[in-house]
This record gives sequence, C-alpha cells and structure tokens, in this order.
Amino acid sequence: MRKTNRIFSVLIFIFLYIPMAVLILASFNTGKNIAIFEGFTFDQYKELFRDRDLLALLGNSLLIAILSTAIATAFGTFAAVGIHSLKPRMRKAVMTLTNIPMTNPDIVTGISLSLLFVFIGTGMLGQKQSLNFWTLLIAHITFNLPYVILNVMPKLQQMNPALQDAAMDLGCTPVKAFFKVTLHEIMPGMVAGAIMAFTMSLDDFVISYFVTGTEFVTLPVKIYSFTKKPIHPKIYAMFTLLFLLIFVLMVTMNLLQLRGDKRKQDRRIKMASRGMRVFRRAIAIICTVALICGSAFLIIRSRKDKITLNVMNWGQNIADGSDGTIDLIAAFEEAYPYIDVNYSEYASNEELYSKLSNGGLVVDLIIPSDYMIARMISEDMLLPLDFGNIPNYKNVMDTYKDQAYDPENQYSVPYTWGTVGIIYNAKYVDEADVTGWDLLWNEKYKGQILMFDNSRDAFGIAQYKLGYSVNTTDKEELQACADALSAQRPLVQQYVMDQVYAKMEEENAWIAPYYAGDAMMMMENNENLRFYLPENESFNLFIDAMCIPYCCQEKAAAELFIDFMCNPEISGANMDYICYGSPIEGATEYMDEYLAESEVIYPPAEILERGESYGFLPEDITRYVENLFLQVRLN
Amino acid sequence: MKKNKSILLSGPYILWMLVFTLIPLGVVGYYALTDPDTGAFTWGNIQDLMLFIPTLGTSVWYSLVSALICLLLGYPVAYFIAHRGPTAQKILYMLVMLPMCMSFLLRTLAWVGLLESNGIINQFLGLLGLGSANMIGTPGAVILGMVYNYLPYMILPLYAIIVKIDNRLIEAAEDLGCTPKQVFAKVVLPLSMPGILSGITMVFVPAVSTFYISQKLGGTDTTLLIGDVIERQFKSAGNPNLGAALSLVLMLLVFICTGIMNRFGSDEEGGVVV
Repeated sequence: MRKTNRIFSVLIFIFLYIPMAVLILASFNTGKNIAIFEGFTFDQYKELFRDRDLLALLGNSLLIAILSTAIATAFGTFAAVGIHSLKPRMRKAVMTLTNIPMTNPDIVTGISLSLLFVFIGTGMLGQKQSLNFWTLLIAHITFNLPYVILNVMPKLQQMNPALQDAAMDLGCTPVKAFFKVTLHEIMPGMVAGAIMAFTMSLDDFVISYFVTGTEFVTLPVKIYSFTKKPIHPKIYAMFTLLFLLIFVLMVTMNLLQLRGDKRKQDRRIKMASRGMRVFRRAIAIICTVALICGSAFLIIRSRKDKITLNVMNWGQNIADGSDGTIDLIAAFEEAYPYIDVNYSEYASNEELYSKLSNGGLVVDLIIPSDYMIARMISEDMLLPLDFGNIPNYKNVMDTYKDQAYDPENQYSVPYTWGTVGIIYNAKYVDEADVTGWDLLWNEKYKGQILMFDNSRDAFGIAQYKLGYSVNTTDKEELQACADALSAQRPLVQQYVMDQVYAKMEEENAWIAPYYAGDAMMMMENNENLRFYLPENESFNLFIDAMCIPYCCQEKAAAELFIDFMCNPEISGANMDYICYGSPIEGATEYMDEYLAESEVIYPPAEILERGESYGFLPEDITRYVENLFLQVRLN
Repeated sequence: MKKNKSILLSGPYILWMLVFTLIPLGVVGYYALTDPDTGAFTWGNIQDLMLFIPTLGTSVWYSLVSALICLLLGYPVAYFIAHRGPTAQKILYMLVMLPMCMSFLLRTLAWVGLLESNGIINQFLGLLGLGSANMIGTPGAVILGMVYNYLPYMILPLYAIIVKIDNRLIEAAEDLGCTPKQVFAKVVLPLSMPGILSGITMVFVPAVSTFYISQKLGGTDTTLLIGDVIERQFKSAGNPNLGAALSLVLMLLVFICTGIMNRFGSDEEGGVVV
C-alpha cells in the first residue's frame, strides 16, 4: 500500500512536469515545431536577448508584480491590524468583503473592473484612454490584498496581546511597539502573503487581459496574442529562464527558512533569528528597490517628449525584420526620430471593432478590411484624412480607389489586397475533389477541415456556395447559410483564425479556407500545401486599408505613417514579408520575383473578375449574423 | 485608546475594497440590465441567457468531472507528502507549487504539442507500433487540460489539512482494533473533509470560468465553454451587455456552489467533534 502510493505520487509529479520538460526542450530546438526535436542549439537564447521588445514586456510584468506586491503587502498589513481590532461582527463583514475577489472567478473580477474603469473614465470623465498602467496596477493590488490579509490575520490572532503591552510598559510608544514587537511576530505571514501575491501577479493573465490598454501590456497578455499564430521558440527560452529563476528563488527561500528554524531551536532566547533578519532585510531591500524603480519609471514615462503613435494592425501584417526582411517600424522611427510607434495587434475585424467601440483605448491608426471600413464610416468612427500630408497617395493604383466601402476616398488609403480561397495538403487531399467550396463539405475529409472563426468570412463562404450575394440582408437566406454551416459542423476539426498556420504547416489538418497571402506563407513552410480559388463560384476579394479612428490623438503623425507606407519601395519590402498584393504602383519592382510573379497573390484578371467584396451591412443584420454564427458554434 | 486608533487603519482598506470589488459588481449588474445600443433598461440580455444554458451545463459538467479526478489523483499525493520528514515535505510542497508559478498559457500549449495528431505522444505510440490515438479536440483533452492546470490547487489544501491530523488519533484507532482500511475510512477521511471541500472549490471555480484551455485543446463541440462565450461578447462580438449578464450568472453559480460547500464543511466538522 505504502509502496503503491509512493509510485503513484512519483507518476503524478512526472505528469506535473512533463509539459515543462517539453517547453524546456523546445527552447534548445533548432526547429520551430514543439513536437519535433530537430537539433540542439542556443540560438533561441541569443534571439531572446536580441529582442528588446520581449525583454521590455518581461520588465513590465516584473514592474507590475513588484509594485503591486510591495503596495499590497504594506497596505494589507496595516489593514489586517485594523481589522483585527474591529468588533467581531464588523470583522466578519470585512472578511467576507476580502473573500469576494478570492471566490469570484477571475474572468468576472477582470470584467467588473474593466467595466468600472471604462464607466468612470470614459463615461463620466470623458477620457479617451481609460485603461492604462494605473488601472492595471489597481487591479493587481486589489487581487493581491486578500492574499496578504489572509496570511497576516492568523499570525495576529496567534500573537500574545501581552507582548505589545509589555513593550509599552517598558516605555515604547504604541507605534514603536508595533514596529518592535508586532511586526516581528507577523513577519512570516507577511512574507508568505507577499510571495503568493508576487507569483499570482507575475503570472496573472485573465484579469490583466481585461483591464490592460494598448500602452502598457504584460508578458502573459502578449503571449496570449502570440499563441494565435505559430509561437516563436525564443518564448520557450524565456520560459526556461523564468523557470530557473523561480526555482532558485524558491529553493533559497526554503533553505533560509530551514536554517532559520534550526537557529531558533538552537538559541531560543535570541528574539530575531538570523534567518528572520535576512528575510526582513531582503523584504526591505526588495520594497525599496521596487519603489525606486517604480518612481524612476514613472518619472521617465511622464517626461517622454516623443510623440507616441499607436498603430493597430492584423497579426503578422507588417515586415518586422525577421527572415531577411526590413523592420519597417524601425525604419519609420528612423525616418521620423520624434515619433515612437506603439504597435499592437488584433486577430479579426470584429475584435478591432469591439476594442474601439468599448472605449478605453487610444489608437491612432488602424488597418481594417473593406466591410469594416464601411461600417465604421457609417458609425462615425473614422476621421477624414488630410491628403496634403499624404503626397504618396498618387502612387495608389486607380483599381483600388473609388471602392464601394469608401466611394469618395475620404477615409482610407489601401494597404494590401487579396483573395480568400482554400489551402489544402496535396499529400492527403485527392486532386479530383479540389473544385469549389464543396471541398469544405466533403465527408471524406471529416475531422481534417478547419473553418473560419469569424462570422463574416464563415457566412461569406456559405453564401458563395449557395449562390447568394455576400451582402444579402434577407434573413431567410442568412438562415439557409446558417443551416449549411451547421451541416458542415460535424466535419470540422476546429474553428480557427491565426492558429491555421500551425495546424496546416504541421499537417494536423488538411483543408482550410484562408487568405491568399497567408496561404503563401504556409506554402513556404510546407511544400505539400496548395492554394486554389473555386473554379466557377465567387470568392472574396478584399482590401485592407489604413484609416484613422475617432479616438486618434496624433493625426498628423498617423498621416505620415500612411504616406510612408505608400512609398513603392517600402510597400514592396512590406509585401515580401506579408505576401499580399500591393495596391501601390511600381511596388512589384522592389519585391522578390518569386512573389511578384506568383499566381496565388496576383491571379489572372479573368479569375479576379469573379471576386466579390464585402459591403456594408446594417447593424441589426450584423448582430443577427453574429448570433446565428454563435448558435452554429454552440449547437 | 490604542485599539481605537488601530481601528482607523482598516478604514482605507474597507473603502478600497468597496470601490474596487463591490461597486464593480454593481456596474456589471447595470450593464446586464441595459440595451447595448440605446443604454435603456431592458430584460433582453437576461432573456437571451436561455440560449446559453446548454453551454453552461457543459462547463459545469466538465469542471465537476475535473474536480473529482483532481481529488482522486491529488489525495494520495497530498497524503504521501504529509507523511514525509519536514525537509522532504518542504521540497515536495515547493515542487507542487512551482508549476503554478509558470505561465499557464505556455503549459497548455505544451499539451497541444503533446496531444496533436502528429504530436509527441502519437510519435511515441508510432515508434512502439501502436498506431495513433485521436486525442486533441476531444472532451477528454479539455478535461485533461483542466486537471493538469488545477491539480496543485487540490493538492495544497489537502496537504495542509492532512498534515495536521493528530497521529495519536490513528494510533488510538489501531489500538482499538481497526484495520488500516477502517482507520482510513473512519478517521483519516472524515478529518480531511475540510481540505477535500476547499480543494474541490478551488479547482471548480477556475475550471468553470476558463476561456483558454477549451480554445486550445477542445474541438468543435468543446471550443466554446461559458468563459469563451463571455470573452467573445467583450472582445469580438461587441456586446458587453450580454457578456455582463453571463458574468452575473457565472458569479451566482460559483457563489451557490461555494455556499453549498461551506455548509457541508461545517456540518462535517460538527460531526467530527461529536
């Protein structure tokens, strides 16, 4: 019995550590795939230390964790002393209040705080950006406080009240007695509470995800946005280093404590054991360092004389310097040294729309697709552009001007264009089946089909398949589309957006509808992948264009950015990375020949003619479609 | 004198907690009862909740199963740790806590790499000539993800209770002629009840509200748990009012569950004392 229990426990510990081992191993892998170990390398670590943005994110996480822990520990300790001397009934009420953030699911805490901040900041004070560093800090302090209080309270209750009286009899003032006696007695509780608060704060994702704005993001929140596309192995390297750091930290804590315990037994008379003293000193040092770093950081932030330009773009939708491309954001910052670009990403037009309409953000430049631009124009969410600041607009090809979504070319400048077709794996999919949208409904490939996880693209495919207009507002037709999607559902492996990369490249799925440019990128990584546009049916021809949203604060700088992107050389360099079509005259001359001549990106004119773009849908229809799609997903 | 003064210390804290925990819940209630377009009062969001009852049911079911599996896996481990020497206890305790401090997003991703159809486990099975198993996208994968992520939340409270059980009680039971099985069933298990209940709560609450595990490990039937639906309302569907209504339901559910657990807990304790 004993022996089986020992074996069982060892197995459980192995179970707990297997994923960690996988991640650590992946950090030494030459390949990008977590499941295939190709060779040993330290390159990921070099990459990690070269990536200043990633290190800055880690710095953000540490800053928030240290600051919120220090504040919550000090605040919570005093509060615990206060609560301790309350009358029992009142004390019980306050402890119930303390328990609320502990028992409430994180998602509810995050949402409630985010709604509060937006409600006060945007609703009552009229601030444009109500979610920022401070809201994040307040949220972290709020969920850290209970850990401190719940750890300090028992120590206060265990403490002999006579101790403090004795100190006061010996001539201490109450304050001095508190620092000399009480604090020493409750120190273990404070340390335990602070450690718990620190680890919770450092790894918190759910609450931070809801209360963070664009200007200050922590590492876990960024990792969430990373995991929508193939994750770079340097993240695993960072994980490994953090793992080592926390491991060493925990071991030292334990050793100190063990030594402290022994000393205490050896020399009972001595009040403060060395272990405790080391602890106290360590805590004091950590707090001071935190406060100094924190205030230095805040001073630097408030002193910044550069303009910050907040750009929000699709994931992987700008050349970032990887794989031999040019880092366009760095190039822009070099061309305009007084502008600092703060770049963030979204995974779908709908996500962008929600982010903007929920309020609480400052965004100066966005790159939505056609139909979303139409919607935003109709809801007064975009500002008219000043073309005096965009001389390069002359380079935009006429084909991409005067589009239905912005008939007078007032609000948008095209960034890329492309098509939606089907990407499939020729190793598994029979060429004879590759004809039209029907492939996505083919029973033969049950469980190997991926589908769009956004309502507009998913419904679009059903509409092309059924021969309806993609801009229909007829509820019966929409219902028929929903039925078609429901019928497809048993065949679908998963509804995805950027995850499609990992799934298709690693051959964990065989068929997926996706955007041509992204398909091209996947095809570069797996030679079995092919892309096609349906032979006889219609398909989506989309244009993503740069716009300035109503919450913009640096309009002139945003227009400079637009102008920069309309330069043929820049646009060509950008397309080398994102693999879409460039709307800029002469850009192909600066592009990789292989891309400039690819039929996936630049299909022949007679095929392009069958393409149809998304137009504007009234809001009630948009919500109707959104609801239908949710029903498809849920049932 | 002194007591009166220290009471004042609790003032700022009470104010802070009121402003940042109670009032936000009120704001959630306000959003839940207003129309997304006009901002006027409406029961519409509450009525729409009916659509999500099956999703809520699935979420509750998965989290209950996960909590029970965690209990079955966690109890022997907690028991094992509690019966080591003091140094070993400290080390093992730390080893249980360590995974909790590491990014749960990345650890879940590691499971994706393990369970994918071309993943590590299937490669391993292939090497052994056992063919491949279909794991990712099944309800089992989601439950596995929950069990893996929240197992430490079960082990730690269980350990804290088991380690406090007075060994003399066990010896007394043995002296009175109990078999080891009887000792466990009549003494150890009833005494560890508070730990079991708090462990179940601590696993159930985060599991029922998760919105990441199901997205990564689930298939079409399981990608949307109630947490995912709420996240969607806020982050992509643009309907925070419906999201707020759903959050209220989730919160209510959790408070009812913890209420029941606490009730059971105090009864059990009473029984032991008698």
